[in-house]
Amino acid sequence: MTVPILEAKAITKRFGGVTAVNAASLTVGKGQIVGLIGPNGSGKSTMVNLVTGEMTPDEGQFLFNGHDITAQPSYRRARLGMARSFQLLRLFSSLSVEDNLVLANHMRMQSSLTASILDRAAAREEEAAARKRARELLAWFDLQEFASRPVTALSIGQQRMVELARGMMSEPTLFVLDEPAAGLSPPNVDRLIQLIRRMRDEFGMSILLVEHVMRVVRDLCDHVVVLDSGEKIAEGEPEAVVKDPVVVEAYIGTGWKRRAQG
Amino acid sequence: MKTLLAAIAAVALLAVAPFGLGGYETNVLMMVLFFVILAVGLDLVSGYCGQFSFATGAFYGVGAYTAAIMSRDLGTSIWLHLPAGAVVAGLFGLLLGIPALRLKGHFLAIVTIAFQTIVYLVISQWTSFTGGQVGLTMPNAGPVRIFGVTLFEFGSLRSYYWLTLAMTVICLIVAWRLIHSRLGREWVAIRDDETLAGAVGLDTTRGKLTAFVAYAALAGVAGVLTAHSLRGVTPDDFTIWISATVVAMMVVGGRGTFVGPIIGAAFLATLPEFLGKFAEYKMLIYGVLLVLAITLVPEGVVGRWRARTSR
Repeated sequence: MTVPILEAKAITKRFGGVTAVNAASLTVGKGQIVGLIGPNGSGKSTMVNLVTGEMTPDEGQFLFNGHDITAQPSYRRARLGMARSFQLLRLFSSLSVEDNLVLANHMRMQSSLTASILDRAAAREEEAAARKRARELLAWFDLQEFASRPVTALSIGQQRMVELARGMMSEPTLFVLDEPAAGLSPPNVDRLIQLIRRMRDEFGMSILLVEHVMRVVRDLCDHVVVLDSGEKIAEGEPEAVVKDPVVVEAYIGTGWKRRAQG
Repeated sequence: MKTLLAAIAAVALLAVAPFGLGGYETNVLMMVLFFVILAVGLDLVSGYCGQFSFATGAFYGVGAYTAAIMSRDLGTSIWLHLPAGAVVAGLFGLLLGIPALRLKGHFLAIVTIAFQTIVYLVISQWTSFTGGQVGLTMPNAGPVRIFGVTLFEFGSLRSYYWLTLAMTVICLIVAWRLIHSRLGREWVAIRDDETLAGAVGLDTTRGKLTAFVAYAALAGVAGVLTAHSLRGVTPDDFTIWISATVVAMMVVGGRGTFVGPIIGAAFLATLPEFLGKFAEYKMLIYGVLLVLAITLVPEGVVGRWRARTSR
């Protein structure tokens, strides 16, 4: 096991009488791609929102690079090096593709807000550098010609790529991907798998990946954690976990098995 | 560049307008400028940052009463009142911004209405401090002196008009820079998706509070100008009707377009002058225009026009 970048320790989250996540733990090592899977309603999305700080757990602790971040709001976690994508695609809908990326770079800017309001050279240069970087990243995703388009003018598949580019814009050390393959065509899923692998290999990111498409999980993940009814029921290498009878049972029936083998 | 030239031409035209207009028309034009400041200010917090406010009249009143009370108790001049009105109103804006951190939509709207009502009650009932229903009168703003030489004597309607025009230009430049800075882009991000704004590392608390402060401070400046120009303040100049009127100006003109609220203010503030004996029904007409705008052109006249031309 490598040095952990993220440790979730016995996390519990209740909504009224429903326990969405029950004493679940998981660890993402530096440079690892860790999969988080489980049937619908198993608490994956709640877990992601807890990791990124959109929600706070009732019990348990989150460590990020060894520091306790349990009480930190999402924007502080982002500043510490965490980025995320959303299951239901989220972008700033009234802005251009480029502006969506530049916003993710604001937190890294050194010049003061006053300098930006007064249109000082320092702020201008920083803004120009952010735009240059945004265009480079868009080129990396083959989206350079769309930079100044309104983000809503792009197809859903392209918007998903913009979401990934936005995440990379903030140079995260941990990228939390919430079902990135949802709604993508099979060739695009292949491309996504390559891109995620390159994010890890070329940019050294650690990745927590929530995914329903098993091909993505099996191709990419070093380690898989399975949630069911908010509890961790299995973890280990993808091939082993997928064949685990407890996991098969959780997904109910043979459909899962077929998908796992197919 | 074309926009800049058009803006300079418009300001030049407004600057010479009093020479061709009577006192009444100059007064109407000055009222339009007060509303321009108010509507552009409201647009910062509502149009750009997406936080609804029905309390414009309250901040307008805070600015006006700051000037009137300072003038009465300290004998200070308008040059001190302008920054003081902006700061005091800005602090009240910060105060109203705090509930906005937790409340959204209708709930925030209700809090702003409550705030507006409280401010109105205080200025109309705290007679010993604010003069109560009668309000306060103000002396002439006095001469403008540099090294003991009188450059300019405040007193005529024109002098107040020109001051108001100059301050309007300054307020518009401030609003323009705010919108086109990093802060303005963060406001739009908060309006579009607050959760996402937090997830990409933006401090949404700072974003919302700065929007409320900027909005309130601009309304405060408009209040100081109004108090001096009208030589006094009365509570009934700062009611929720003012707030509603400014909302209508912003929405009809076009939220989040900068130019829209200016045009909306010019249109709605001059409209009663063309209505003759129906002028007393202006609130009814504003209401109808607001409903029509929201149902038919929610992006406002300027918003619609821009969408047309960019296609």
